[in-house]
Amino acid sequence: MSRIGAWFERRLGMSGIIKFLSQKEVPQHEHTVWYYTGSAVLLFLAIQIVTGIMLALYYQPTIEGANASVARIMTEIPLGWLIRSVHSWSATFMIAIVFVHMLSIAFLKSYRAPRELTWATGVVLLALSLAFGFTGYLLPWDELSLAATKVGTDLPKAIPVVGAWLTKVMRGGEDVAGDTLTRFFIVHVCVLPLSLLAVLGGHIFLIQRHGISLPLRAERKNETPRTLPFWPNFVLREAMVWLALFSGLLTIAIFFAPSLGPAADLMAPAPAGIKPEWYFLFLFQTLKLFPANILGVPGETVGVGLITVAAAWLFFLPLIDTRPAEKKGRVVTGVLAAFLVYALAMSVWSLL
Amino acid sequence: MKIPDSLFTRRRFLGALIGGWFAALAGAVLSPLRKFIIPPYREPDEVTLPLVDYASLAAGEVKSFSWGIKPGFLRKTPDGAYLALVGVCTHLDCNVSFRPAENRFFCACHEGWYDENGRNIAGPPPKPLRRLAVAVEGENLVVRKTGLSR
Repeated sequence: MSRIGAWFERRLGMSGIIKFLSQKEVPQHEHTVWYYTGSAVLLFLAIQIVTGIMLALYYQPTIEGANASVARIMTEIPLGWLIRSVHSWSATFMIAIVFVHMLSIAFLKSYRAPRELTWATGVVLLALSLAFGFTGYLLPWDELSLAATKVGTDLPKAIPVVGAWLTKVMRGGEDVAGDTLTRFFIVHVCVLPLSLLAVLGGHIFLIQRHGISLPLRAERKNETPRTLPFWPNFVLREAMVWLALFSGLLTIAIFFAPSLGPAADLMAPAPAGIKPEWYFLFLFQTLKLFPANILGVPGETVGVGLITVAAAWLFFLPLIDTRPAEKKGRVVTGVLAAFLVYALAMSVWSLL
Repeated sequence: MKIPDSLFTRRRFLGALIGGWFAALAGAVLSPLRKFIIPPYREPDEVTLPLVDYASLAAGEVKSFSWGIKPGFLRKTPDGAYLALVGVCTHLDCNVSFRPAENRFFCACHEGWYDENGRNIAGPPPKPLRRLAVAVEGENLVVRKTGLSR
């Protein structure tokens, strides 16, 4: 070690962590491919942070300035259209890979003991990612984003006791207006990033703490699988995946830049044929189908109740699926698969 | 230390006391924040519209007005009276539009329909559109929240 390195080592004492990372091994088996999804999410997160900071240099979170400032980014700022397009597409890529990451872990049952808390932090990260998408959607302040935000912030009203208060906190008052926009901006660029980084730190710490999980079958056979050194072999393979994803992202962002509708008008009727972001389509279609009353209970209350139950079920899944290798585990897998089919079918239906 | 006949130790007592102080302090700090995050409500009690703008409405015709920051709809009923509605869907808060061809109000968000009097007739809306009271006062039409009197 060089003298400078030794100087730092005496003050930081990082050699244990460096040794741990340099000796880390990644198991090789037929499901190794899913291991790449975690770091792919991190790639898109990094892109979001960089492009997000760039956009915030010109964006104005006020009712008068928001739409015009996005229009300025799209038309006047050099390569502004590209930065916004990458931010928008990277959000879509990130959510998509978050879903793949979660589903792979759910179906492989990697959440089983002792990794329950890793899973729980992951579910919180999913919720934070969706909150990023929801708050970011309003910021261009066009017709679509206004209608989507009105609906999304009205939903909590159906929650008993705290619902009405929650809606007021999200909107900054009774109605979606200028205060809502400013508050969504500050949540999008300050509250959510800080929360996400904190939970993500816990998530990654837990993964290092327990080591990467093995598929059930490999674990039961009790054999040590083939492994690959994390550094440099696995990281280099990950870098190839990152490069492929990054070039794919750039290509799509260049050819399919997001549009910007006319500035939202609080008085205007909701535009015909509105749709939320793709990852909320199944909820959107479900809400459309729910009648006003179900056995005397308002349809929204039933809807919000079901969403809450589904979210709680997901969060506590490791405590519910306690015998993953037995019949109970197969039932859980079946419920997951059924939900996946339902979400896909509803999403496709909403696009017809 | 635990003196005879005591239910808990001195350490536990002091711990609970300090914990209680911190809880009270946290409450004292959080309650003003809780108040701060919601600004006062600003829906108007009444809106005054020049009668001349709405007098020429044919029976059954609908014209919009601003109810604070929300859209409102004024309709002349066949018997010549005025009906005022808040044009916000009772399902999930989207602004509705009046469709003269169908003589109905329509919400594009989740395809909700209301008849010409604002009654919810199809789709997810659980309640009729909110009604406002209308009075002709001299040269003006005054639209008020229902249940308010002067």
